[in-house]
Amino acid sequence: MNSFDLEKGILTYLGFHGEANEETRARIKDILPRVIAAARFRRSEGRFTALPFFLQREPYLKFLSGCHSVVLEAVTLGGEVDLLIRRISKEDMLSGFVADACASALLEAYADDAEEPLGEERTYRFCPGYGGSDVRDVRYILESVKAEKIGITLSESGLMLPQKSMAGFVGLGKQARKTCGECMLKEHCAYRKEGKVCFAK
Amino acid sequence: MLRKVTVFDGGFGSELERRGVLAPVPEDLNLTDAETVRAIHRAYAMADIISTNSFGLNRIKYRGKFAIEEVAKAAISNARTAGKKVFFDVGPTGGMMQPLGTLTFEEAYAAFSEVAQLTKDDVDGYIVETFSDLKELKACVLALREQTKKPIYATMTFDRTCRTLNGTTPEIAAALLENLGVDALGVNCSLGPKELKPVIERFLAVAHVPVIVQPNRGLPQLIDGKTQYTLTVEDFMAPMREFLKMGVSIVGGCCGTTPEFIAELAKYSGQEVEQPEPEYQTVVTSSTRLVTIDGARICGERLNPTGKKKLKEALLKGDIDYLAREAISQEEAGAELLDLNVGVPGLDEPAVMERAALCVQEATDLPLQIDSSDPAAIEAGVRSYAGVPLINSVNGEGKVMDAVFPIVKKYGAVVLGLTMDGKGVPRTAEERLKIAERIIARAAEYGIPRHRVMIDTLVLTASAEQPLVKETLKALTLVRKLGVKTALGVSNVSFGLPDRPRLNRVFLAAALQAGLNMPIMNPMDGEMAGTIYAFRVLSGEDMGAEDYISRYAGAVPSVPTATAPKAESANASPVATLYEAVRRGRKGEARALTEEELREKQPMDVVNGVLIPALEEVGRLYDAGTLYLPQLIAAAEAAKEAFAVLQEKFERTGEGRGKVVLATVKGDVHDIGKNICKVVLESYGFEVVDLGKDVPIERVVEAVLREQPLCVGLSALMTTTVPSMKATIEALRAAGCTLPVFAGGAVLNAEVAKEIGADFYTASALELVKTIEREVLGK
Repeated sequence: MNSFDLEKGILTYLGFHGEANEETRARIKDILPRVIAAARFRRSEGRFTALPFFLQREPYLKFLSGCHSVVLEAVTLGGEVDLLIRRISKEDMLSGFVADACASALLEAYADDAEEPLGEERTYRFCPGYGGSDVRDVRYILESVKAEKIGITLSESGLMLPQKSMAGFVGLGKQARKTCGECMLKEHCAYRKEGKVCFAK
Repeated sequence: MLRKVTVFDGGFGSELERRGVLAPVPEDLNLTDAETVRAIHRAYAMADIISTNSFGLNRIKYRGKFAIEEVAKAAISNARTAGKKVFFDVGPTGGMMQPLGTLTFEEAYAAFSEVAQLTKDDVDGYIVETFSDLKELKACVLALREQTKKPIYATMTFDRTCRTLNGTTPEIAAALLENLGVDALGVNCSLGPKELKPVIERFLAVAHVPVIVQPNRGLPQLIDGKTQYTLTVEDFMAPMREFLKMGVSIVGGCCGTTPEFIAELAKYSGQEVEQPEPEYQTVVTSSTRLVTIDGARICGERLNPTGKKKLKEALLKGDIDYLAREAISQEEAGAELLDLNVGVPGLDEPAVMERAALCVQEATDLPLQIDSSDPAAIEAGVRSYAGVPLINSVNGEGKVMDAVFPIVKKYGAVVLGLTMDGKGVPRTAEERLKIAERIIARAAEYGIPRHRVMIDTLVLTASAEQPLVKETLKALTLVRKLGVKTALGVSNVSFGLPDRPRLNRVFLAAALQAGLNMPIMNPMDGEMAGTIYAFRVLSGEDMGAEDYISRYAGAVPSVPTATAPKAESANASPVATLYEAVRRGRKGEARALTEEELREKQPMDVVNGVLIPALEEVGRLYDAGTLYLPQLIAAAEAAKEAFAVLQEKFERTGEGRGKVVLATVKGDVHDIGKNICKVVLESYGFEVVDLGKDVPIERVVEAVLREQPLCVGLSALMTTTVPSMKATIEALRAAGCTLPVFAGGAVLNAEVAKEIGADFYTASALELVKTIEREVLGK
């Protein structure tokens, strides 16, 4: 895992789009190891050469056009991280916020690392909810990769639990970079106002 | 101990897949395709025990089209066709239990209880498998045990770090499961057999009942909807043979294993294996932490309202967060388990105990000592407790033991027995020893072995009963000879005398020497904790004085210290004024600086002259993009600290700026945004009634009607929970509430907010404050 990217990710989640202050950095240095210690990264994937039915519509079709197969995946940091964030939040709110950002960035970093073996010719990870797609499609991905085996469940309102979990898919056979086009926050985004993006290019 | 090998069947789902049978609800096949189900069971007939095709058959998980009873009966009769013993297969509910999710202990318990009632007369036993959550597993085993005396085998799944998904270790699982009376315990699914070896070693090192192992056929790969496994029969068998040699006596297969694998295992059926016989230890646990009561273990006493005004007030007000903070600070100060007592006259003790125990378990993973003289409160505390709790207490009185021991037995607890009875505390050590013997004997009659009983030889005050102090110590030594561990409420000794800590420390040292294992004491007293750390060096428990050196290297000797300073303020130079403290987000310094300001100014002048300008400045810099969210929050926290000091001066004249009710709506558990709003509102002097997350609609309505706040703030992060926000607003309106409703959260914007009936949308915490000031307060 690239620790530079990890820190950048954490600062992004914290809302920094410029230089971070010393106090926040010190807090991250204090809290990140606790989050890493509590994290139990698990991943489950399934590879499909024929598109599963729920991906046979927009915007998925467009995203996956030109791909020869798709890898569905679910990842999680496990429940202890959720509890740790809550515990730290009770110590003080800012530390809880930092812990939450550390966990989100860590999950992204682990998930990125785990995708390396899929090779260079792959898209970025597309998660239901992006680009106007229905966040409820998460359900199908979780079912397909038997995500309950790695401990992810879906609440009645469609939330993944543990909270630090993701479900998405990667297309194989072409490269695709992230853009802001699919982001629901683009109207309010502080990065965009400054001509920046929140993700690694 | 010699045991005969028993062989379970292999994977069921993977056999279905191999036969090309696709079923979204595999349990329904028991009725819709009984032939296939039976064929698979018969293919496993070389095994000694067949497990039914019923993994997901409970009312929380099952989404099939039949009645559960019907499916269960069919599953059993299908399994019977193999002509072997039939164990009913029970898997988890698939829901996430509190506190991570919303499923309650009682809901899970009821679901498993229903399964037990429907099946208990028709099966030979239960195989409870693939659990990750210790609390859910406890609900399941309790529910089954209540209905049947038939064998219950229970297994969890572990990863390479030897923990379940929720962080439970083999030792913790074994401790609780044995206490709950399962007939075999171990591991299933998870990994391939080779990778499970460390888990199995750890089970065998602590288990006294048979250990069961049902691994996967290695790690599966999912390709085009088909699950593919790579291990050959021989790959699988080599480690399995080793496990039998190590003492595992129940074997089978999980995902991917086929009749070929089980046929190979079946060759060992009936052979004798030698399971190690580890010594029994006194063990208490949470779901992720285990404490062996040996040497000297610190039990924190501060969650007990006796003589603690603030805690008493917090309990009466229902301020559960106060308990959480007390728990955390005791943990930080070195407590290894925590006493929890909520006995305040006028409180519904069982109800408060249940909530308090849940709250403290969420705040810390230290094991708990549930402390009450009311058996109903004890049961409320231990029932949904995730792990092996310590119950405080019973005494030598028959009726007390008869009321409490059944609870200890049922919930697999450890119990603390006080050496007193209806006649009070005996004067001599020998008489107290007799009571201890009586307690241990009566516990045994209830099926509670000696290692689950601890004895408190009772401390009397040196001021009133000076000669008896020695008797308490002597009794410790005598009681330890019975093979049980000991506890004492140490600080009682100094009651009524000056400089109590001095007496407490010396008494503690003497008691440790006399055989005390668990002082119940104030861990925040650095000298008391220090006495324990020092004793551990002198007694040889702290090998090489490693722990001691790590704590005290560089310490200035003989200066009585409070607990170690927190890391927070370590790396920053101090600030000179309250304005700077808020501006730079220095919560740690805000309190002292506020007090300094108050020496010259009136409270209201501090608010208007210092706090508000500092916050305005922070807000301005934040809007300008010079400061970022963490700095804004830090400033808010510092201001909040200052307000807390000012509040004490305001004499509660209601002079605050008014109340705001906040909630993350039903179905949503993302509460970071709402929490940020809370802190920022409080920093501006608002009183926030925080209802938490996933808040049922009725609770929002009820709280708003009760509190009559200035306004209501609702938060939702997901598109799927926006309807829940809408329903909440509708319910508020239907109840006649005309107060302004603010909506916020990642998926909202002004249009959506309007559409669902909110009065205002605010995009940030700061905007919320400004909008309330402008629109509600009319500033």
